[in-house]
Amino acid sequence: MIIERILIALLFLSGFTAIVGMRNIIRKVFGLNLLNAAVLLLFILEGSRIGNQAPILDEGITTMVDPIPQALMLTAIVIGVCVTALSLALAVRLYRATGSLDIQVITERLKSEH
Amino acid sequence: MKKLELIKIVITVLLCALLVVPIILSNHSWPTQARDYLFDNARSDTGATNTVSAIYLGYRAMDTLGETLVLLVSVTGTMAILVKLGKEQSDEEATSFSLAPEKRPTNRLRTHLLETVASKLGPIVLLFGFYVMLYGHISPGGGFQGGVIVASAIVFLALGTEVKSKLTNTLVLSRIEALSFLVLILASISGVFFESGFFGNPIKSASSLSANFIILLNIIIGLKVGTSIAVMCIAMMGGSHDH
Amino acid sequence: MNMLLLSLILALGIYALLSRDLLHSVIALSAISMLSALLFTILRAPDVAITEAAVGAGVSTVIFVWAIRHTQRRDKEES
Repeated sequence: MIIERILIALLFLSGFTAIVGMRNIIRKVFGLNLLNAAVLLLFILEGSRIGNQAPILDEGITTMVDPIPQALMLTAIVIGVCVTALSLALAVRLYRATGSLDIQVITERLKSEH
Repeated sequence: MKKLELIKIVITVLLCALLVVPIILSNHSWPTQARDYLFDNARSDTGATNTVSAIYLGYRAMDTLGETLVLLVSVTGTMAILVKLGKEQSDEEATSFSLAPEKRPTNRLRTHLLETVASKLGPIVLLFGFYVMLYGHISPGGGFQGGVIVASAIVFLALGTEVKSKLTNTLVLSRIEALSFLVLILASISGVFFESGFFGNPIKSASSLSANFIILLNIIIGLKVGTSIAVMCIAMMGGSHDH
Repeated sequence: MNMLLLSLILALGIYALLSRDLLHSVIALSAISMLSALLFTILRAPDVAITEAAVGAGVSTVIFVWAIRHTQRRDKEES
């Protein structure tokens, strides 16, 4: 149990490092996606500890898994794809305006235009 | 300068690790009161057998309304940026998706495989998407899942060039999306007039199908999510000529 | 079984961040979504598994491929 949590924590930290440390703006969006995936895995892993059957009330099930984290994570998945779409559209717009995908080159070119 | 940046990045990551890792690694026991309450009362409160559907369409329908609003805003923003991008480069090859017919004989590896297979698979996936949408209250599935599958099916139909159907016209799809959002707002307000509160069930009569409100909400949300994602994907592939 | 899938997801994630070609990273992200959907099915969450498979391996990959097509595919400078 503890090893799975360590792996999820490493995934979270690598996504955070990508957002802070990488210079290509599309790699920053990759990091955002990894962060989202880590949070989903953590919640569903924790919620599945108290039961062993899927949360559909058929005949003869006794202990079902906690359904509340699953309902929350459905919303989280949809919002993750919305944020990815909008940020990638903004990245392509920045590329058209300045001609590069590197964040320091972009800031220099935008400053020198003013 | 590079050393200074590296030190800044390391300090930031260490700070985040200090705050977040103890939360992930903590080992408290998960409480079970919510699961026991839902096990006893979910079917009689909402009429649905799928507990997850009963939560996000029955007990917490306000979250679903907010999420639909976030989807609408983000797709509108992306389309606004896309239309501006498309106007700037209307003569480049990068906006068209399939290879132009006059280039085909020189490019040996591009065959008609993608268009043929996609146009044959499109209606089957559309049917499956509607099935997942309509049976969301008794088996895994529901509005969002069926909506995304319907969006994939519309993208398949847009890739295959044999049939020009009204389903891949962005004007028709955006009208359907606006109409379904309006019906969602009306359905959520109608509970107030029938004395069951905001987002309450207005048809609580003793009919044979006690989950009608959840089925209605599933259809509305599925249509909205499906058409909005399909409009965004078709505009990205460069097919929005009549927008 | 859970540990094996989680370590595969971590390895693919690190490959997606360090690869030179952006299209390889997009395929790695799509594979992470597929493995996550498999893991959700094992952990008894069928609704989340269907949504993650349809969204992560379908819509999200299309959006990434569109963004790479309109910009550049390889890293010109250092990452």
